[in-house]
Amino acid sequence: MSSEVDHESRLEMMAPLARAYARSVPEQPADAGLFGPRSLVWRVNRDRAFPLAGMRSLMVQALHPLAMAGVAEHSDWRRDPFGRLAATSGYVLTVTYGDTASANAAAARVRAVHTHVRGTDPVTGLSYSAEDPDLLLWVHAGMVDSIVEVVQRYGRGLSADEADRYVAEMVPFAVIVGVPPERVPASAHDLRTYIESVDLRQLTPAARDAIGVVLDPPDLAPDLRELWHDLGQVAIGTLPDWAREMYGFAAPPAESMERESVRQLIGAVDLMFESLPGVLEARERIELRSRG
Amino acid sequence: MLQSRLGRAGALGRLALRVGGRYVARSPRLIFASVDRRTELRHDLALRTADDVAEELGSMKGVLMKLGQMASYVDEDMPLTFRAAMSRLQHRAPPMSQELASSVIREELGGEPETVFARWDPVPFAAASIGQVHRAITQQGRAVAVKIQYPGIARSMTSDLRNVGLLRRIAAAAFPGLDTRALVDELGERLKEEVDYDLEAKSQELFADYFKGHPYIHVPAVVRDLSTARVLTSELVAGSRFDELQGWDQRERDMAAETIYRFVFRSLYRLHAFNGDPHPGNYLFHGRGRVSFLDFGLTKRFTDEDLAPLIDGVRFMVVEGDGESFRGAMERAGFLQAGAPVPTQAVVDRFGHFYGTVMSDAPMTITPAYASAIVKRFFDARSPLAPYSDVPRTYAILQRINLGLYAVLGSLNATANWRRIAEEIWPFVNGPASTPIGEAEASWYAERDRHRVALDRTA
Repeated sequence: MSSEVDHESRLEMMAPLARAYARSVPEQPADAGLFGPRSLVWRVNRDRAFPLAGMRSLMVQALHPLAMAGVAEHSDWRRDPFGRLAATSGYVLTVTYGDTASANAAAARVRAVHTHVRGTDPVTGLSYSAEDPDLLLWVHAGMVDSIVEVVQRYGRGLSADEADRYVAEMVPFAVIVGVPPERVPASAHDLRTYIESVDLRQLTPAARDAIGVVLDPPDLAPDLRELWHDLGQVAIGTLPDWAREMYGFAAPPAESMERESVRQLIGAVDLMFESLPGVLEARERIELRSRG
Repeated sequence: MLQSRLGRAGALGRLALRVGGRYVARSPRLIFASVDRRTELRHDLALRTADDVAEELGSMKGVLMKLGQMASYVDEDMPLTFRAAMSRLQHRAPPMSQELASSVIREELGGEPETVFARWDPVPFAAASIGQVHRAITQQGRAVAVKIQYPGIARSMTSDLRNVGLLRRIAAAAFPGLDTRALVDELGERLKEEVDYDLEAKSQELFADYFKGHPYIHVPAVVRDLSTARVLTSELVAGSRFDELQGWDQRERDMAAETIYRFVFRSLYRLHAFNGDPHPGNYLFHGRGRVSFLDFGLTKRFTDEDLAPLIDGVRFMVVEGDGESFRGAMERAGFLQAGAPVPTQAVVDRFGHFYGTVMSDAPMTITPAYASAIVKRFFDARSPLAPYSDVPRTYAILQRINLGLYAVLGSLNATANWRRIAEEIWPFVNGPASTPIGEAEASWYAERDRHRVALDRTA
């Protein structure tokens, strides 16, 4: 029956994300990993608002022309955007919940890939290298800032103190890919200050193009597309003003940013995700270890 | 009157003996001990705070799981991935931690469960859709089942149901080709009533009172002074669950199915009430056709005027075979617009499917495929009649006969002469008892009538 085929393909785009999730949370870890079950990192990095944080991260990160050029010229993200997303998400989960050896191995693979990512950005004319601590720090900051912002507004919540602790706990994330520890901001305020201190921020055609795909991925079933668009609008609404203005996005109406309705949207998307094989089980593994 | 009462007790006593009464003469302790804790509850993942509850079941999750449960009736048509997903999610139902459950008892009944009850089992024995059930013994020595609602769930579900736009979109994604408006309305109706345990207690009492002394149908009594909007305490019943019944022989399954069928239609045509949740989890089976009915979270009472066109509909469609008059009855009930430009035969064809079990005077087996076909027809947005037909609010709940009852009977592969059984119950036929269960029911009813008359006379 055609509806069957339609439905299979409907959730198929989420399948790589589900597989990455299941694989990244070990069944028999050798040790507690880089952070440990009692850490804030463990609590925050499994928040159900993460898809929103992910979208916002990409939008912020893309506004550094050199970071963007590295992705645009060296990655096959366009051919397989969800596969790319799954790889990133799997990396974050492995570093968070994997044992120390798995986390370090994942970071080593990323560093190995980065050695080949170098070139010249066509817009600024500047040369770039993915090993450049400046770029690595930018990407780290875009991610952590987005997680804090989104989890505070739409996740299980994060007090100001907890936000600072979380940012500090996340420092190893930057260090393992090659940022000197002393350069990594260790409080929410320092993180924001750092981001706003980066002069190179601007919108390039490559970034416009990439974010177009993030907001409207091809091959999305029409009914899922609406949910995805809604999620994208909320992500835009959580951007700092400077970023939203660079993209030329209008601020979404206040009622669409209201916590309860956004949580309903997130909950619905999360339930679909959780319904895929392996996700629920992986979450239970995390939960049981956190309680252990 | 004393005489008739004793006579009644004697007759029922003999009957209970004959069928080997299990829920009758048993001590509270024995009942307490024989109700097993279900092992699939994940106590290691227990919800410890209202915040945990919100995370697990708030933000659309509980509401959508309910939608999935409803959709499981649409079995055959449900896409594989979605079906697998829903069964995975439904089996999770993490219970509340002992402390969280106790906090609800404290707030609702004013004390620790250990002091409110003479004996309290802190480990729930069953999951309920938005709560869990504990066994206990009251200070008066009754074995009871205490259903406790998850804290905060009523508020969050009510809010989720208001987000109709999102719900419809998800229903459309999950069930292509179905009438998402009807599906979401149905969902809303169901949940709104399910979160109010006060309402449920009243309904349960209505049924318990009507079926008192029935030889095959048992409705546990409500313990009023231990019940509130979030806690529902009723008599504890020990029996076998639906999945155990599935392992019994076909004769047992047929008898259980007959009792369920009688319960549904007797409630509707004689009590003028419908318990809208024919669902496998809501029965306990005692063998030889005896069934306890557990969940009254969704009950509707009908007036004589509400029921008149439905009764007419059955009569004209099934008994008299009068298409034009049937159409008139459907128009009076509001199921069909008056003067809709569709031939009467189309109306008869469309609605006739819903009378499939009672069309002919012969044994019929209700199969899963039959049940699924009924459901598909119900939500089919492509019928030529669709633009002119509607389910009026008053009757919406009755569609659960089509959605739930036939699914239950279908999964039992139940065979009976449903027509003869229905004729016993239809007030315009008042047919003779057609089965052993029917005979026992008839004498119960006669005793019951006599008792009522006696009561009226003394009053």
